[in-house]
Amino acid sequence: MKSEVTTQGQAVVVAFAGDIDLENSPKARQTLLDCVGKSGKVVVDLSGVGYIDSSGIACLVEAYQAARKKSASFALAAVSESTLRVLKLARLDKVFTITPTVEAAAG
Amino acid sequence: MIEAPPPAPPVADPLELLAAMSRDFAVAMDIEATLRPALGRIAEHLNAEGGALFLLDDDGSHLTCRACFGPVDITGLRLKAGQGIVGRVVAGNQGEVVRDVSKDPSFQGAVDEKTGFRTRSILCAPMSVKDTRIGAIEMVNKRGGDGLFTEADLHMLAALSTSAGMAILNARMAAALVEQERVRRELELAAEIQRTLLPRSDNENFPVQGVNRPARTVSGDFFDFMRLGDGRIMFCLGDVSGKGMDAALLMAKTASLFHCLGKNIVDPGRLMKAINVELCETASGGRFVTMVCGRFDPDRGAVRLANAGHEPPLFFRNGEPFVEFPADTPPLGLDPEITGVSDFPEVDVSLAGGTLYVFTDGLTEGRLPDGTMLGTEGLRALLTEAQAEPLARRLTRVLSAVDREGGVLRDDLTILAVEDRRHAARNTRPRPLPVAETREPGEILFAIRLPASADRLKYVRGAIHQAALGSGCDEAIAQDVVIAVDEACQNIIRHAYQGQGGDMEIEVWRSAAQLVVRLRDFAAPIDPSQVRPRDLDDVRPGGLGTHFIRSIMDNVEFLAPPGGERGNILRLAKAIGSRRKTRKRENAR
Repeated sequence: MKSEVTTQGQAVVVAFAGDIDLENSPKARQTLLDCVGKSGKVVVDLSGVGYIDSSGIACLVEAYQAARKKSASFALAAVSESTLRVLKLARLDKVFTITPTVEAAAG
Repeated sequence: MIEAPPPAPPVADPLELLAAMSRDFAVAMDIEATLRPALGRIAEHLNAEGGALFLLDDDGSHLTCRACFGPVDITGLRLKAGQGIVGRVVAGNQGEVVRDVSKDPSFQGAVDEKTGFRTRSILCAPMSVKDTRIGAIEMVNKRGGDGLFTEADLHMLAALSTSAGMAILNARMAAALVEQERVRRELELAAEIQRTLLPRSDNENFPVQGVNRPARTVSGDFFDFMRLGDGRIMFCLGDVSGKGMDAALLMAKTASLFHCLGKNIVDPGRLMKAINVELCETASGGRFVTMVCGRFDPDRGAVRLANAGHEPPLFFRNGEPFVEFPADTPPLGLDPEITGVSDFPEVDVSLAGGTLYVFTDGLTEGRLPDGTMLGTEGLRALLTEAQAEPLARRLTRVLSAVDREGGVLRDDLTILAVEDRRHAARNTRPRPLPVAETREPGEILFAIRLPASADRLKYVRGAIHQAALGSGCDEAIAQDVVIAVDEACQNIIRHAYQGQGGDMEIEVWRSAAQLVVRLRDFAAPIDPSQVRPRDLDDVRPGGLGTHFIRSIMDNVEFLAPPGGERGNILRLAKAIGSRRKTRKRENAR
């Protein structure tokens, strides 16, 4: 799994490519927390994510909680059907801010 | 100068005067208003120039003149108890004739000095009923003759004083009774309101049962439980510090907050935090509430619990020692920031056929017939003894040990129990896991054995995905099956080998209607009644993953491997329709 961090306007955009599963989620977790630590606005581009499991979801949740604690904004963008399915299973689809594109969240 | 009372009919017979006065007092609503005319009558009868009636203060420290008749008005005059002739008479409970005041050292000449009146002779008799000293009546300056009172006058006054004393006492008692009645009615109303806050106990078979026995009319204890839309049950039990109306009101407030907020905030730790913030906003004089809050999932026999300063709940499963859950946080109502920005810590309990008991210290501190305290040991013994009984009866049996016919409760008694009803053989020793058959119905698609390690998960996912599609599942269902199997593997990877490493074996079977995946580890047998603390900062997917598995698969169960081999088998089954049906659908398109 690869990750890439860029800036778009005020926001820091983290793009993941590949699977965020038990093998890769520790790395994803660290990347996400770093971004939240350094920015007041974080957008997670999930368009390249083929599979995400409960450990991946847990990273997103942890980053989301960290962002809230410092009143930073945190959004998921370009979420695929399969990723949305997992978010719904975890009953988190109404909790996260989910936008169709990165621009919509970063802009 | 005080006016003479309206002329009363001449009374020759002192007994008639007594009777007349008694009648006056009996009908008087305002006892003090009746005292003056009564005094006047007595003065008339005794032919005194003036008179005064003194009443003892509530604390017995002073005598105050409450009624007066004659040329000088000393109403309101206050003397220290024991002071003056009046004081002496009250203290000694003995009437006195002071024929000539100039010869008595106790005489308070001060009043005469102020008023210009010249007191020559005093008659004073105490008002008392049995041992209760009420005051005294004093008469001054006999008219006519030598102007001095006689012993006979004293006898008369004594009789009249006694009568007046009784009347005053009766009037006071009547007023007290009225007040008591008013308070009693208020408390009963409060008690009725409190009863409406308790959950209705109409279903004896409900897996959550509670009983509350207030020690007095109003209770400081409460409990509640309610079903959520998804079948899970929120419950709570609490104890307010202190007694009386204050405590009762705080109880009502807390119980209502739970009932209202608990419908939407279903995490006990978060719910208690919200309740705490609300209580602190209107905190009243150092009062606080100890409380246990929980969520029960009857389908899984699982409880999530949070405890704020309360007596530790007890978990009991037949054949095993009791488990306690001490409080992780102080009581509610003290500090809105008591856990910082976090929610209250929670604990997860797998009931696995057992029962969770929550209760107030009124129970453990209750007295047995021999006078000793029940204590936690005694409670555990009672619960163990009574475990075969149905839940509702079990609870009343436990309460009866400290709440007996004709006894008086020292403190409110409250107990609530949450029971896992899923296992039919609830009260016997826990059964070992059922043994798996050597094979599943249908045919095996593949079996693989691989190290239980995170980097292998992608291979498992790939294989399962292919197997599901190949079995006729559509993409959405295939993805779901992948998720479930992936999560099941994660559990083995994380927990089976305690970080030591080991293998896992996966078999996929396809029968006419089902896809069955068996995941096997080679570790020690699973103990279903694990209790592990849930750290809120730890969003480990362990719990979430199990939820995924159960949401996706139709049947999830743990089995022991056949032939007594070591390890565990997790069997996941999903109904996916027959091959023939699937093909038919495909042809129809």
